Amino acid sequence: MSAHKPIPQTTKLTGKDLINVGIYTGIYGVLMVLVGWLGFIPILIPLLAALVPLIGGIPFMLYLTKVHKPGMLVLMGILLGILMFATGMGYWTILTGAAAGAIAELIWKWGDYRDAGKGVVTCGFFSAWVVGNFLPFYIGRDAYLAQLADGFGAEYAKELSGYMPTWMLAVLLVASIAFGLLGGLIGKSVCAKHFARAGVA
Amino acid sequence: MRPAGLGEREKPTHRGVVLDPRSKLLLLATIATIVLGGMGGSQMLWMHAVLSSLPLAMLAFSGRFVAAMICAAAFGAAFFVQAALVAQGSGTGIFVLLLLSGIFSRMLPAIVAAHYLVTTTTVSEFVAGMHRMHAPDSIVIPLSVMFRFIPTVVEEATSIQQVMKMRGIRVGAGHPRKMLEYRLVPTMICSARIGEELSAAALTRGLGAPIARTNVSHIGFAIQDWIIAAICSWAFIAASLSMIGA
Repeated sequence: MSAHKPIPQTTKLTGKDLINVGIYTGIYGVLMVLVGWLGFIPILIPLLAALVPLIGGIPFMLYLTKVHKPGMLVLMGILLGILMFATGMGYWTILTGAAAGAIAELIWKWGDYRDAGKGVVTCGFFSAWVVGNFLPFYIGRDAYLAQLADGFGAEYAKELSGYMPTWMLAVLLVASIAFGLLGGLIGKSVCAKHFARAGVA
Repeated sequence: MRPAGLGEREKPTHRGVVLDPRSKLLLLATIATIVLGGMGGSQMLWMHAVLSSLPLAMLAFSGRFVAAMICAAAFGAAFFVQAALVAQGSGTGIFVLLLLSGIFSRMLPAIVAAHYLVTTTTVSEFVAGMHRMHAPDSIVIPLSVMFRFIPTVVEEATSIQQVMKMRGIRVGAGHPRKMLEYRLVPTMICSARIGEELSAAALTRGLGAPIARTNVSHIGFAIQDWIIAAICSWAFIAASLSMIGA
């Protein structure tokens, strides 16, 4: 995608890099919130772990064409976590965002900050950040379910806990990475088909 | 519609009672944690009402009285339906009604608080507030860009959605791939373009420059900020107590 662009020598993040972090986190965040509305229907909540990475792959692959220095993916993870906190999904996402961002950072460095194939792998592992949104179901599970029962009625809480047994967390983690890879592939082809031609990638 | 110019958007900031950007952030964080996140459980129901009325009041004080009244009426209705029904038994009708009123009475205050924050704070004030909190540049710059940029992305996405609706490309029309491609791709291309222009404008203004930037925004705590801070701390203390007690 951007193999012809020289990689800047400095590894310190400049103002332009930080602005790019803000812009792409903004685009990713808006798409995520739009998809997230589906979560009010209880049966769709586990599905979000697949849908968000799938849709997010497109902006993420475009973002990767601007990332040539360490730190930008971790920052994006933390900022998405802050955005999730502000929209009421709890603070765990800030931690999972930082962790998934750090892993993605290593893979993207391994891809020399330009290899689109490794970019897809980067996208897959970065997508694991969404698991933070589900952690309230598992850390202090009973208290959280009681809280949901208070707010939305016992039936909602019961139904939701039925969809979210403990082993589900592992499934969600694997699903988020798998759909992240798929989203990355879609993103890669969209980048090649549209963004490179439009001159934005 | 594209925003005119690349600096600040037009904002009716200095009308009525003005809050410090830090108080607005505190209010949003408190509502996100306690009302939307449900910290503290059902003993906090009246605290929810108090917290939820704050952004409504601030909206009214900042000159949008009618919008505040409409939101207040909608919130009040949802709140009382929910408070009356949550202890009741089951039944599909009650389940749906509870779900809707629960969503509405929780989401609305956070949406109003976020709307109040974004529409009444200029980017300069936001940056000044973040710097007073000694937040590092690597967080302040992306956040302030998002602060300025997210409303633009939403605006662009809405315009493109309208166009595609006109062309008959919508949810449920049986074209999931077209849906994705025809909406997402143009939205992202225009957002990326606007983002690049925005970035050039921000660099011209010295964002990210190695020396300290000056800022002419007058921010600082006044009596109304202390009231907000007091109510928010009270809410957090009450929520923590009820969690320990439970």
